[in-house]
Amino acid sequence: MNEALTTNAPGSTAPPRQDELRVSRIDLLRRGFPLIFLLILIVVFTIMSPRFLSLENLSSVFDEGTVLLVTALGMTFIIMAGSIDISVGAIVAVSALVAALTVNTLGVLAIIPAVAVGALCGCFNGLLLALGKVPSFIATLGTMVVYRGLVLYFTRGAPVSIDNDGFLNVYSGITFGIPNSVMIGLALAAVAWAIVNFTVFGREVRAIGGGERVSILTGISVARVKILMYVLLGALCGVAGLLQGARTMAATSQLGLGLELDAIAAVVVGGTPLTGGLGSIIGTMLGVLIITLLSSGMNMGGVDPYLQNIIKGVVLITAVFINIDRKKIGIIK
Amino acid sequence: MTLVATGLNKQFGPTRAASNVSITLRTGTVHAIVGENGAGKSTTLRMLGGVLRPDSGEMTLDGAPYAPNSALDATHKGVALVHQEITINRSLTIAENIFIGDLRVHAWPLGVLKRKQMAALAQAALDRIGVKISVNANIERLNLGELKCIEIARAISSNPKTLLLDESTAYLDHREVDAVLHVMHQLKSQGITIGFVSHHLSEVLAAADDLTILKDGQFVGSYGVASIEANEIHRLMVGRDVLQGTYPPRPPRPVSDAASALRADKVAVGRELNDISLDVRRGEILGLAGLKGAGAEALFAGIVGDEPLRHGALQLDGKSYKPSNPRAAWQHGIAHLPGDRGNEGLIVSFSVLDNLVMARPPTIGPFFSMARARAMSWNLIKLIGIRTSSAAAPCRSLSGGNMQKVVLGKCLAVSPALLLLNNPTRGVDVGAREEIYRIMRQKASEGLAILLSSEDMPELIGMSDRLVVLRQGVMVREFDSLTDVEEHDIVQYMT
Repeated sequence: MNEALTTNAPGSTAPPRQDELRVSRIDLLRRGFPLIFLLILIVVFTIMSPRFLSLENLSSVFDEGTVLLVTALGMTFIIMAGSIDISVGAIVAVSALVAALTVNTLGVLAIIPAVAVGALCGCFNGLLLALGKVPSFIATLGTMVVYRGLVLYFTRGAPVSIDNDGFLNVYSGITFGIPNSVMIGLALAAVAWAIVNFTVFGREVRAIGGGERVSILTGISVARVKILMYVLLGALCGVAGLLQGARTMAATSQLGLGLELDAIAAVVVGGTPLTGGLGSIIGTMLGVLIITLLSSGMNMGGVDPYLQNIIKGVVLITAVFINIDRKKIGIIK
Repeated sequence: MTLVATGLNKQFGPTRAASNVSITLRTGTVHAIVGENGAGKSTTLRMLGGVLRPDSGEMTLDGAPYAPNSALDATHKGVALVHQEITINRSLTIAENIFIGDLRVHAWPLGVLKRKQMAALAQAALDRIGVKISVNANIERLNLGELKCIEIARAISSNPKTLLLDESTAYLDHREVDAVLHVMHQLKSQGITIGFVSHHLSEVLAAADDLTILKDGQFVGSYGVASIEANEIHRLMVGRDVLQGTYPPRPPRPVSDAASALRADKVAVGRELNDISLDVRRGEILGLAGLKGAGAEALFAGIVGDEPLRHGALQLDGKSYKPSNPRAAWQHGIAHLPGDRGNEGLIVSFSVLDNLVMARPPTIGPFFSMARARAMSWNLIKLIGIRTSSAAAPCRSLSGGNMQKVVLGKCLAVSPALLLLNNPTRGVDVGAREEIYRIMRQKASEGLAILLSSEDMPELIGMSDRLVVLRQGVMVREFDSLTDVEEHDIVQYMT
């Protein structure tokens, strides 16, 4: 039972805004944690290799990180709602294949079927969860195998190359020194941020994560929101697949392998707890930067490649260990 | 064993949860701790039970210093605490639940449980507290009162000399409360000292020898139950005399010819509700009396579309209404305050504002409007008198009564035509109750139709314009007026 922690009488409700600005110092620190952590990484890597902060390196790091960013944006919604999706890497592979198969006829417009198929894969995940009531972890574990199986089946394991110049110019070109993919990623991040903070849908996703039964009884159509968020993630995976295909100039059955783990890690390192109810796109963006810089920084700093996975894992656990607000998420399992 | 505490203090952050509390639990007596929500009752009990360590103050057991550093330590010293929440694990057996704290003691060296011996000991513990539960019973089938008794048996199995019960009856219905009171009586006759926290003054008067009153964390005083009047207890708890004024006056003549807000025609829902026909008029509070499972909850679930109607028909404002899901119900102007505040009523980790605007978030074009949400919240906070430091404060920082006001605010935010209230004042202190009653009456006078289901008889009698008694899924009696109706007039039809 919570004993009252508040003292204001109803009549003496002071000007609301001032009160609302009051945030405890620990909360501020926690909110700033991903940023602090990122700065520490940058300082360490810059000391190890001065070239780390050079424009070309950063440009290539961001370019590399965009696929992860676009996927993690969608994953933020899923995790905020307390669900999970581990089929994202496979959806990315499917979308890349669709783009590769249609690029010669559609050119730049190959983005349409790629995103559509990604959204369809996501929709199927959402239907399994919302209407089939299959827990999202199991549902997407199954569809992960199916989706990647589809790619294998249609490619027979052979890569499908993408060599349409118009397509490559747009999706892996560089404008004013900035990779196009990065601009696409940042634009999508801005949209995702607006959805989380300024739409009813964003609030409903959060509410489902905070309390699904409460949400249902308060008249939120939980099934619709769940399906929508998986469609959103699927569509974003479609974009990610397209960008990845353009980067590697081919669609392969191995494309996006392990991406689900990086995406989940980025979201969680960014401060969105797996238990749902909370989350931020800015946090996810920082999480993506942390994960991407960690890999590239270790490469540049000459860390033994066979040691890198160990360090990466330890860093991730440390970040989450420090970052999560154990008071807010109650039960940890 | 006599447990004496003097000058206990406990502070959480800026809040003084308990201040200068002194209490004496005399050997073999029952001592009640009463006060409003947030008065410091649970804090005090938890300090006695070793869960919380007092910031200052002294405790003695039979004259010897007593400073438990954990609940387990307190148990070793003969003081056992039963928490408010029911912590029975339904996937274990009754015996395993009773001995969950020291299963190792009842196991062979490799950890295999001595089942027969455990069952016998568990049965002995149950028999000792005088409840008729067999250890072989299917735990899934037990009601909350029986589960509470198993928890008491668990506490008793460590052979304590002093037993502390925190709001043991908060979520129980009449029969279950009686069972728990019977257990307390039984234990007292065995010479065990009992300290308990309760919201229900009737229980306190029935069961306690002594009582201690707390208010806003401050110690008010300790009294012998025989030497103090109920009115006086109320006055000391709240700081003014509330018994007379608890229920706002009814309008001179209820709205007998007002239009019907909701008409149910032979409605059946699930296994609980068989066949009910009733009519709620605009501006009327219709009470639903009945034991748990008598059908009121099922009726609500049917009306809001949480469970399908087995058969029957509903009419809303004279038009046929087929509830398909809760969303549709809200859109039809039906607001619903569920019985389980923490799991169904509100999201405690969310802010007051988030919860208040959840049912109908204000928008500008396609976007959520924070400015309007803030204005809306502040209107509701003022209207209902929600005590919170800000609209952005998380609900978990509020007292139970204020959380319930938030749920009520969420309902009123949609300007409903029909309001379903399921035990709106369960676990709510007297002060907050009055405010909830005031709002109910005010909204009814503005034309809102209210269906009030409650296990609190005085509340049903005090607030309802008309009342319907349900028993085993059917309507057994209707009261068209509640003036001069006594509690037992209603209760006799319930069982």
